[in-house]
Amino acid sequence: MFIIGLDGATWDIIKPNIDKLPTFKKILSQHDNYTISLQQKPWSASVWCSMFSGKLPEEHNHLDFVKDGEVQTRNDVKVDFIWDILSRNNISVKALNIPFIVPPYNYNIYFNPPGYGVPLTQEELNTEITEITNKIVSVTGDSKPELFIAVYTALDKMSHLHWGGESLIDYYIKIDKAVNKIFELDEKVLILSDHGFTDYDKAPVQTLPKITSTGNELKGDHHPDAIAIAKNIPFKVNQPIDVFNGLISYFNVK
Amino acid sequence: MKNEKRYTTISIPVQLNEKLKEKISGTGFHSVSSYVIYVLRQLVSSSYEEKKGFTKEDEKRVRDRLKNLDYL
Ligand SMILES: [Zn+2]
Repeated sequence: MFIIGLDGATWDIIKPNIDKLPTFKKILSQHDNYTISLQQKPWSASVWCSMFSGKLPEEHNHLDFVKDGEVQTRNDVKVDFIWDILSRNNISVKALNIPFIVPPYNYNIYFNPPGYGVPLTQEELNTEITEITNKIVSVTGDSKPELFIAVYTALDKMSHLHWGGESLIDYYIKIDKAVNKIFELDEKVLILSDHGFTDYDKAPVQTLPKITSTGNELKGDHHPDAIAIAKNIPFKVNQPIDVFNGLISYFNVK
Repeated sequence: MKNEKRYTTISIPVQLNEKLKEKISGTGFHSVSSYVIYVLRQLVSSSYEEKKGFTKEDEKRVRDRLKNLDYL
């Protein structure tokens, strides 16, 4: 099974631009797709953590990339993730660039993310997309694990800085091309985002200040509607923790 | 699902095997194999971590970048 995370991806960009996104157009017509309306804060660190630990924010208590002035690392997050549990049960698993921490977390795979895991420039964002795609293709080629999880963070960063702009659509087109390269690599594929995006002023809950402390104006803010596209996935994701719970029962482990 | 072979055999000294059997008794590991796989995976993934060589300076860069998005 293959899980592809698209941090910050939203139907609000995909659907109105579907004719520019041939891969999404095709897979949406062929496979289940739906909205995950988050009941937890639409916050990357905490949502990705819930997805792969099966714990709600108040249980995993990992609410932010930085806590008490310290950049959080894997060891600060006191949970077992799905990859820890599957490994204990001899099920092969790899996880690539999972952004519950920065730089994002890798399991059983080496990846040096561009921009220290927070890609901001065009070059870093492009590099992230290309390198993750190449890594996915090479891993699924030689020793394909039973579960492979990989997350692209570029759309989240682009949406913060360029929401409403044409350059954001260009990045959805790049992601569309990447998905085209990897979607057929497995029989079972789940594409997910951790939250959506909206106009800064229309966000039901403003999660970030409009002008950042470094003077950038943020144009987009997180929205609690995330996306899901499921090819032969035997479970439905109503909330982030359902990813973990679905995997636990699919692989029949405890 | 897939039929290709997923395991291979590795030899370890009999005495070590016995020691490991004692070590795992009463734990969640149901065989020496699963314990050995677990330990080796830890080793492999921690060497991935080390390779990354994340320094204090890198940490500062991460912080600065998060600031740009006001994630901080
Ligand atoms: Zn996010």
